[in-house]
Amino acid sequence: MDLATLIEAVVKVHVVLGFVLLGVPLIVWMERKVLGHMQDRIGPQRVGPYGLLQTIADGIKLFMKEDILPTQADKVVYFLAPGIAVVTALAAMTVIPFGDTVTLFGREIPLRITDVNIAILFLLGATSMGVYGIVLGGWASNSKYPLLGGLRSSAQMISYELAQGISLIGVIMITGSLSLSEIGRQQEKLWFIVPQFFAFVIYVVCSVAETNRAPFDLAEAETELVAGFHTEFSSMKFALYFLAEYANMMVVSGVAITCFLGAWHGPLLPGPLWFLIKLTCFLFFYIWLRATFPRLRYDQLMAFGWKVLLPASLLNLAATAIVLTVMG
Amino acid sequence: MFETLLFGMLAGIAIGCALGVVFHRNPVHCALLLVGVLISVAGIFILLHAQFVAALQVIVYAGAIMVLFLFVVMLLNIKGETPLLTPGAAKFFGFLFALIVFVELIWTAVQPSPEGQGMPDAAPLPADFGSPAALGRVLYTVWLYPFEITSILLLVAVVGAVVLAKRKFF
Repeated sequence: MDLATLIEAVVKVHVVLGFVLLGVPLIVWMERKVLGHMQDRIGPQRVGPYGLLQTIADGIKLFMKEDILPTQADKVVYFLAPGIAVVTALAAMTVIPFGDTVTLFGREIPLRITDVNIAILFLLGATSMGVYGIVLGGWASNSKYPLLGGLRSSAQMISYELAQGISLIGVIMITGSLSLSEIGRQQEKLWFIVPQFFAFVIYVVCSVAETNRAPFDLAEAETELVAGFHTEFSSMKFALYFLAEYANMMVVSGVAITCFLGAWHGPLLPGPLWFLIKLTCFLFFYIWLRATFPRLRYDQLMAFGWKVLLPASLLNLAATAIVLTVMG
Repeated sequence: MFETLLFGMLAGIAIGCALGVVFHRNPVHCALLLVGVLISVAGIFILLHAQFVAALQVIVYAGAIMVLFLFVVMLLNIKGETPLLTPGAAKFFGFLFALIVFVELIWTAVQPSPEGQGMPDAAPLPADFGSPAALGRVLYTVWLYPFEITSILLLVAVVGAVVLAKRKFF
C-alpha cells in the first residue's frame, strides 16, 4: 500500500462519513418541515432561515443535557448499545457506491470507500448486527417498556431481514455479481426496477421495517411503550440512536437506489449528483409514508412479514430463475 | 507478518471472549461474548480468503441465531444465580473430557508430518478461492448429496418445531 492509496482512502472515508453526519440534521429538518406541511402546519421556522438551524440547535441542546444513568441499568451494555447502533450503520455506508470513477491528479479513483466483492452480504451482515444496538439498549435499561420495545424489534427485524435479503437475490441473479458497484454499472441502459418491480416493492417495505420507521415503528410505539427501546436514554446516547436511525435510512435508500433505481446513472448531470437527487427523493418518500400510514398492530406486522412478504419474495425469486433459464 | 499479527489479535479476542462465555455469570453477557467469538472467527475466515463464509458466519450466526438466543434469554430473564460449576460427578467428568481433548490436541500437534519436519506447505490457492461462485459450484456438484441431506434435516427440524409449538391447540 503506497502513500497515495492511503491518502485516497482517508479522504474518502472522511468525505462519506462527513456527508452522513452532516446529512442527518438536514434529513431531520426535512422530515419536520415535510411532516408539518402534510399536517397543515408550518414546521420549524424560528432558528435560521426556514428553520434550517433548528436541528443544529437541538443537537447542541442534547450535548448540554445531563447524561442520566438508570441505577438498575447494566452499565457496560447500556454504554455499548448506542455505539453498536451507530457503528453498524456507518459501516454499512462504506460499500455503497455513489458514482463511477473520476480521474484526479492522474489517478483513477472509484467513488466508494471500498469495493469488496461480497458488498451485499457485508451490508446484510452490518444491518443484522444493527439489531443488537436496539435489543441491548432495551434490555440494559432494565425497565419494562424498553425491554418490550427491544424484544419487539428483535423479532421484527429478523423476520423482515429474510424477505429483504431474498428480494435482492433477483438482482444478483441478473447481474451475476454480489458487488454493488458492478450492479450499479450494469444498469446504464435499464434500471432493474423494470424487470424486478415486485422485488423492489418487497425491498422497500422490508427496509422501512428494518429501520424501525413508521408504520413499522413498533419498537418505539409511544402510545403504548412511552418511547420503546430508548425510553431510558438521555443526552448524547439518545442522540446516537437518533443518528443511527437516520444513517440507516440513508443506507437502505442507497441500496435501493443502487440495486433498483439505476445507481448513479442519469442524463446530463454527473453521477454523484444524480445519486444525491435520488437519495433525497427516496428519503422524502419515507417521510411521506410516516405522514400517511397509521402504525400496524404487532400481530399484523409479524403475519404480514411471514405470510405475505416472504412467500412473495420467494415467488419472485422462482419466477426470475425460470425467466433467466428460458432466456438463457 | 501483518497477517500473523492480525491472526494473533483475532485469535486472542476469540479465546478471551470464549473464556468469558464460560465464566461469566450473567447469561446476556455470555451471549454477547459468544457474538464476539463468532465475529472474530469471521475475521479469521477473511484472513483465509474465505470472505463468503465469513459473511455467512456474521449474518447467520451472529446476526440471526444469537439474536434469537438473546430473545429467549431476555424473555426468561434468568438471574445470574446459578452456580458456576455443578458439583460432584458432572465436575469430574467435565475435567476428564477436557483433559482427554487437550492431550489429544497436543499429541496431534507434536506428530511429525509425513514429509519430515513441521507442517506441510500450504497448496497454492486457485484465483477465485472462497468466492461465492466457486463455493456454489463445489456445493452443487461435488458436495450435492451432503448439501441436500442437510437441507432435508433442516426441514425435519422445522416441521418438528411447528408440531411442538402447535401441540397446545390439540
